Amino acid sequence: MSSYSELIKNFEKIRAYMREFYVYGFKTREEYTKKSARSYDDERRRIESILGDYMHFVRTPEGKSVFISIDSRHSRHNPFYKAWKSKSFTDGDITLHFILFDILHRPEEAFTLNELLDKIEGDYLSHFDEPMQFDESTVRKKLKEYVREGIVLAEKRGKRVYYRRRACELPDGASELLDFFSEVLPCGVIGSYLLDKIQTEEGRESLFDFKHHYITPSLDSDILACLFDAMQKKSVVTVANLNRSADEPRRVRLIPLRIFISVQTGRQHLLAYAPDVACVRSYRVDYLKSVTLEEPTPRFDELRAELDSMMQKIWGVNTKRNRFGKEHIEHAEFTVRIAEGEEHIIRRLEREKRVGRVEKLDDYTYRFVADVYDSGEMTPWVRSFICRIVDIRFSNRTVENRFKDDLRAMYRMYGLQKEDV
Amino acid sequence: MIFSELYSAYYNAVAHILSSLAQGKTDRRELEAIVSRYAFGESGLHIVPSLLNGDWQLTRRDLSTPIRHTPTMPLTELERRFLKSVSLDRRVRLFDFDFSWLDDTQPLFTEADYCVYDRYNDGDPFEDEGYIRRFRLILRAIREKRQIKFEMISRKGRTVFVRCHPARLEYSEKDDKFRLLTGNGGFVSTVNLSRMISCTLYQGDKTLPMREKEPLYETLVLRVANQRNAPERVLLHFAHFEKRVEKLPTGAYQVTLRYEREDEPEMVIRILSFGPLVEVIAPDDFRELIIDKLKKQLHLGLK
Repeated sequence: MSSYSELIKNFEKIRAYMREFYVYGFKTREEYTKKSARSYDDERRRIESILGDYMHFVRTPEGKSVFISIDSRHSRHNPFYKAWKSKSFTDGDITLHFILFDILHRPEEAFTLNELLDKIEGDYLSHFDEPMQFDESTVRKKLKEYVREGIVLAEKRGKRVYYRRRACELPDGASELLDFFSEVLPCGVIGSYLLDKIQTEEGRESLFDFKHHYITPSLDSDILACLFDAMQKKSVVTVANLNRSADEPRRVRLIPLRIFISVQTGRQHLLAYAPDVACVRSYRVDYLKSVTLEEPTPRFDELRAELDSMMQKIWGVNTKRNRFGKEHIEHAEFTVRIAEGEEHIIRRLEREKRVGRVEKLDDYTYRFVADVYDSGEMTPWVRSFICRIVDIRFSNRTVENRFKDDLRAMYRMYGLQKEDV
Repeated sequence: MIFSELYSAYYNAVAHILSSLAQGKTDRRELEAIVSRYAFGESGLHIVPSLLNGDWQLTRRDLSTPIRHTPTMPLTELERRFLKSVSLDRRVRLFDFDFSWLDDTQPLFTEADYCVYDRYNDGDPFEDEGYIRRFRLILRAIREKRQIKFEMISRKGRTVFVRCHPARLEYSEKDDKFRLLTGNGGFVSTVNLSRMISCTLYQGDKTLPMREKEPLYETLVLRVANQRNAPERVLLHFAHFEKRVEKLPTGAYQVTLRYEREDEPEMVIRILSFGPLVEVIAPDDFRELIIDKLKKQLHLGLK
């Protein structure tokens, strides 16, 4: 039986648990049925070790629930980034890492593999009673890994390969830049890695707070980085997509085109061309379990241009099942009436209109109009104008009727209308 | 791609320990303090013991080490690519940082690779020279704990002159705006940067007490229907607040969350957007705000 370790080999192991504890946090131990009880206990302990004070427990008649509660407005740095720093390694990995970079201290000094092996043994391990043994293939493999990571350079001189440290340090003056961009850019955890390199002053605090700050998407950073990499390389990918209605992820081949980020719902979607159905579709990034990079595709530029032309008709992320050239567009409009001194409502319409437009009917009446693929995505926003809506017309009658039914349901819920009205 | 031991808290802690040993600091308690600062809750059980017992052959039992230099690692390709992406961001000029050394680096992503589709479109003018100058000056004043003087246009359109201790800058991704949080207590405690007309470092000798306004919190109790995927949508939407969720015997969920009182109008709108799937249970005065809006809507007679 393997013993518990604070570190993990695969981030997927804690990704789902962290999301559950943070977003939901009402399940008891018994409800985590997909994994074994021991696996649950290990992950809970691990997350507690990483997140410390943010973990809370509550006892209910059903049992004990664990939850993570964070007011991200005052946390300065995303606490979930710490989880990305919990990768496991072997005793050999860490020993070799610090010895290699101690030997490769000066970028201008280069060594062959044999020279490195001699130094590792003679200058470092010989100081220990029972020295570790690193064979040629282990050190070569490690150097290859570091070449891939871009921290070591391999240069062929004649028949010999020389290894040296890449001369690339972070210039001074990056801390405030990184304090900010590590929180607001996708894959911001990389900014946090960079901050770790320069965070030597005790008690230095970020000068920034972040309002409306969703930290959950950081759990999907690896998936996102792979998708971005694919876009930069204009490549096809195969993703494992866990649909809400399925237990097992389904493998789908896609051409990733753009990531759609919401700063109001906490969700991120991949918009990608799905060759199987010949259309652009959206996929929740947090439902993707893995991304495998495949061959570059000559169609990338053409498909991205197609998505660009579709952008004016997407309200949120839905494109529906349209084939190119056979677009199904829904018309949506609603009219609001404002009172004297309520010009801020018009400013709201203007700044939140996205792909729609605002028409002035008279000094107190304004109409919002949009033509989009899926008008249903718009209804939560339209509801935020409740108390001023005098007219609403959607070409998709189901969406319009649901909006009105929902309004009546709210009247009943708050006792303004009786059930039979 | 991102999850690698090269960036791990353990490697980072060990680098700091070796650096501390190189400076002759060999007190075990100091090393344990490094571990608790840079690693996790239980890391103390592993890192120093692994160094002392020879599992990691980097220090001997007497804490002497064959490592000769302060450990450093060059930037990885991933880090360089991320920085290149930062350099292409529309807000980057707010910071005085030279990226020319990354000229040959491919970005990890560009602004063509992602879009924030629900950000408000009246964000701050991040490329305006005056805005950039004021932003940098405020950042410097916060860092150096200096007072500033600024001139701004108030909401009512009046020109106002203020002297204050700048405390922090708050950025909202939704509004795409910066606000300055001042140390002036109640008076002008937050200022939208875009409202400032001019700003300078205060050169005089008048002092001001540094007294940041403590946010006032309210607690809201919501009932979320277990329909149309509402629990997931609602909980994700309100994820950035401190909150607690309970499953009710009816199958619905009760969410208790804490928000700042100044955000009440925004909270009303956010709750309304979920329609009948979210009901405000408490407090009564917040529930009344919702009822008031619904009454007005009912009065408009939408058919």
